[in-house]
Amino acid sequence: MLDFILPLVGRLHPLLVHLPIGILIFGMLLVFWQKKSSTSYNPVIRLTFLLGAISAALAGISGYFQYQFEGFAWGSVQNHLIAGVITAIGSFYIFTLVKDETIFASKIKFQVLGLFLVLTVTGHLGGNISRGEEYLLEVLPAEIQALTGYEAAPEKPLEIPEQGWEELEFYGEVVQPILNHNCKSCHNPRNLKGEFNLTNFEELLKGGENGEVLKAGNPELSALFAKMILPLDDEDHMPPKEKRQPSKEEIELIKSWIASGASQNNTLGQAGVGKKLVEPFFHKEEIPFYPLTEIPAVPVDTLSKLRKAGFFAENVLQGSSWLKVSCINFPDFEDKDWIRLASVKDQIAYLDLSSTQVTEGILDSVTSLTNLTVLKLNQTGISGIQLKALSRCKNLKILYLNSTKISLENLSGLNQHPGLQKVFAFQTPAGNSVNPGKFSFQLETGNYSLPKIPADTIVY
Amino acid sequence: MKSIEKLVFEFEMEKLQKQTRRHFLMDCVGKIGGLAMAPLLFSCDPGSNPAKPMGLNLSNRDLNPLSPLAPPFASKAKSIIYLHMAGSPSQLELFDYKPELVKNHNQPCPESLLEGRKFAFIRGVPNLLGPQANFTQHGESGAWVSDFLPHFAKVADEVSFLKAVHTDQFNHGPAQLFMQTGSARLGRPSLGSWVTYGLGTENQNLPGFVVLTSGGKTPDAGKSVWGSGFLPSVYQGVQCRSIGDPVLYLEDPSGMSRDLKKNVIEAINSVNQEEFNTYGDPEILARINQYEMAYRMQIEVPEVMNINDEPEHIHELYGTEPGVESFANNCLLARKLVEKGVRFVQLYDWGWDTHGTDHDGSIDMGLRNKCREIDRPMSALLLDLKQRGLLEETLVVWGGEFGRTPMQENREGKTMGFLGRDHHVDAFTMWMAGGGIKRGASHGKTDDFGFQGIEDQVSVHDIHATILHLMGFDHEKFTYDFQGRPFRLTDVEGELIRKILA
Repeated sequence: MLDFILPLVGRLHPLLVHLPIGILIFGMLLVFWQKKSSTSYNPVIRLTFLLGAISAALAGISGYFQYQFEGFAWGSVQNHLIAGVITAIGSFYIFTLVKDETIFASKIKFQVLGLFLVLTVTGHLGGNISRGEEYLLEVLPAEIQALTGYEAAPEKPLEIPEQGWEELEFYGEVVQPILNHNCKSCHNPRNLKGEFNLTNFEELLKGGENGEVLKAGNPELSALFAKMILPLDDEDHMPPKEKRQPSKEEIELIKSWIASGASQNNTLGQAGVGKKLVEPFFHKEEIPFYPLTEIPAVPVDTLSKLRKAGFFAENVLQGSSWLKVSCINFPDFEDKDWIRLASVKDQIAYLDLSSTQVTEGILDSVTSLTNLTVLKLNQTGISGIQLKALSRCKNLKILYLNSTKISLENLSGLNQHPGLQKVFAFQTPAGNSVNPGKFSFQLETGNYSLPKIPADTIVY
Repeated sequence: MKSIEKLVFEFEMEKLQKQTRRHFLMDCVGKIGGLAMAPLLFSCDPGSNPAKPMGLNLSNRDLNPLSPLAPPFASKAKSIIYLHMAGSPSQLELFDYKPELVKNHNQPCPESLLEGRKFAFIRGVPNLLGPQANFTQHGESGAWVSDFLPHFAKVADEVSFLKAVHTDQFNHGPAQLFMQTGSARLGRPSLGSWVTYGLGTENQNLPGFVVLTSGGKTPDAGKSVWGSGFLPSVYQGVQCRSIGDPVLYLEDPSGMSRDLKKNVIEAINSVNQEEFNTYGDPEILARINQYEMAYRMQIEVPEVMNINDEPEHIHELYGTEPGVESFANNCLLARKLVEKGVRFVQLYDWGWDTHGTDHDGSIDMGLRNKCREIDRPMSALLLDLKQRGLLEETLVVWGGEFGRTPMQENREGKTMGFLGRDHHVDAFTMWMAGGGIKRGASHGKTDDFGFQGIEDQVSVHDIHATILHLMGFDHEKFTYDFQGRPFRLTDVEGELIRKILA
């Protein structure tokens, strides 16, 4: 019934350890404070070191309980415990020295210094266990961190390069990262839940308190895999219900690793893993939509001026220099209004001149926008003769020419444009032609229809 | 007089001499403590400091609450068209094909599924109801779509299905609120309000958030589903009428010239502006803005909301009939509005609550009729957006507020005259398409009866997080300060559904 007492005492360890630290340091200060030829502090010093010894012993006992009940590995607490015992004994030893009322404090300075060192080491080792060895290093400037050889390495989800994935070591470069990402926080030398450490291959083979977790070639009998596919509500499900769960692709990889023999050195290729299994982990290189060059952003008052002139003008993204300019509330925009945009011509990356009064001449002006990525000229009077000029806009990716007079011939002037991806030419001569042909870009001509079918009119 | 001053002076001196250490300490505790209290108390009071109204910061919007703002992160979509099927269509007749359910038709539902569950109307042990539609796979993606949606089957490659959505509300009102505002209780801003608050709107002559309804009834949850909650009311949805003038009193009354009207509005607004400068209440700005918007809308709205001028082939594509209230007309309007730079268009279509109480509410007949009403328009909407290149930057979302049970409804424990399904929260299907969404994907899986999600389940909050992500927000950082704490659309939940992102 009182089963909880000992674990509770164990949990009080982090609290109790502060008593000997405080008391002993106070005693040490007194020893150094006392004048050379005086013994007047002796009774206080004696009491202090006695209390220090008792509290150190209590801290040690509670620490032992914590080690017993919280699943710490012996190896990780061993030195801390030994140093703690030495501290307790040391302070008791100093207490017995001072018991001799005539002893001068200066005589025991070396013993006290020694005790201070042991106390510091004990405290430091304890901190390493509870807070992690990186606790203090983490906050230091990067240069000092580099000196100590420390590298901040949070466990990242698995990523597999698309090229040469067959050559990856199945265990070391695929399985271990998955385990590190999903399981390591509770199964490592410092935090040894179920007495199971899966941070390296040898320990993984060893298994935990319930025995081995791997049965090469048989995932269903391997606890490592079997516990992950138990229903989430099952008590034995791993990771525990309230923790983040591994993705089903990660579990699949672990399954196929065990099925392939759970070998330490096989590569993905040797284990015969199909591309389907690793594909979800391919690192996707995000290619930014807008140009990468850096240019100064448009000043705020220039933006305000543009807006007052009737433009919609806004950065494409907070903190970006690229500008989106549209004439959605400026239907009277004409070729001669172009001059109003001159001050921001380097920044314009998205230009919408749809439904304005612009004519063919605007194309020539537009080519001065070196960073233009999206251009919309829907429902304008451009005829397209000058369209070829747009090939000078090297960054152009998407071009909208719906409801204009653009013909296929005009569009062929943009064939082989290096960046152009899509051209929309719905309701144009080009879009209405029977055989649009092939271009280096994707030409969307639309004219979709949904033919009438009997079901359209059947009422049930 | 002099003697009184002397007396006062003497009194002051006496008082100072009587001042002891205790007085000093008491003063320290009381007064310094009071000083510390002041900012704590005032922080609950947004009105007292007109220079910096809490919550709504207009300094970067030129005092116009609807002026556009750049999104904080790269956005994939700039507008949203949200098709909400109010009443909730049956996923088991449309997208979630369950051959096991066919085999077990009319068998009693396994007790294990019913354990500890409550349904809106089902009592006792109901029988399973096999799908009343025929399913086939369509397109390159092999998406399962039933013969209830023959047109949509042809465009199934354009969308990403979410097959295992779950919610936690089994009544229409709360569930609609949850789906649209992220909370089943009243008082939160709707998705459209959040988006217009965060991004403003591009066309300054049109509202940023437009609501269109069809099906003869507005959603059960009332207008709160497009309300602005604690956001300034300028961000609430503007409902346009589906029959007659889309917005009432757009025409100037006879004898009232536009110039005169302009003068009146300017006068009213200058008074209101004065009021705002004094009290800093953002609601006043909302009112100023509404006057100006109404004036500007007079020019743009009649043109945008008029579908008569659309060419014949577009009418044929959508199946529109000008002059009547229909989902088809609303779909066409939605495209026109998005084309004109409206940020958020919300469509509600009522009539999907197929309990089996009558002919209209039956799974095999009424539901087919409803499907016919939306099948062509929503497929046409996707195709029309695609051919105009609008699908590149418009996100289309389709879904109800929950799903329907794999069991036949047995209201009051009795067998019903028509085939129907009860409300179901554990698993239902939604789809998204367009800006930033993968084409032809299907995410999530349900069990053999379609009762519960068994793989890649997503919550309503996950959907909101994903929508906000596509619009360029981090749903965890996009907040509004209200009642002393920042509020989020997704509250403390929501995870991005990465697998449906292009």
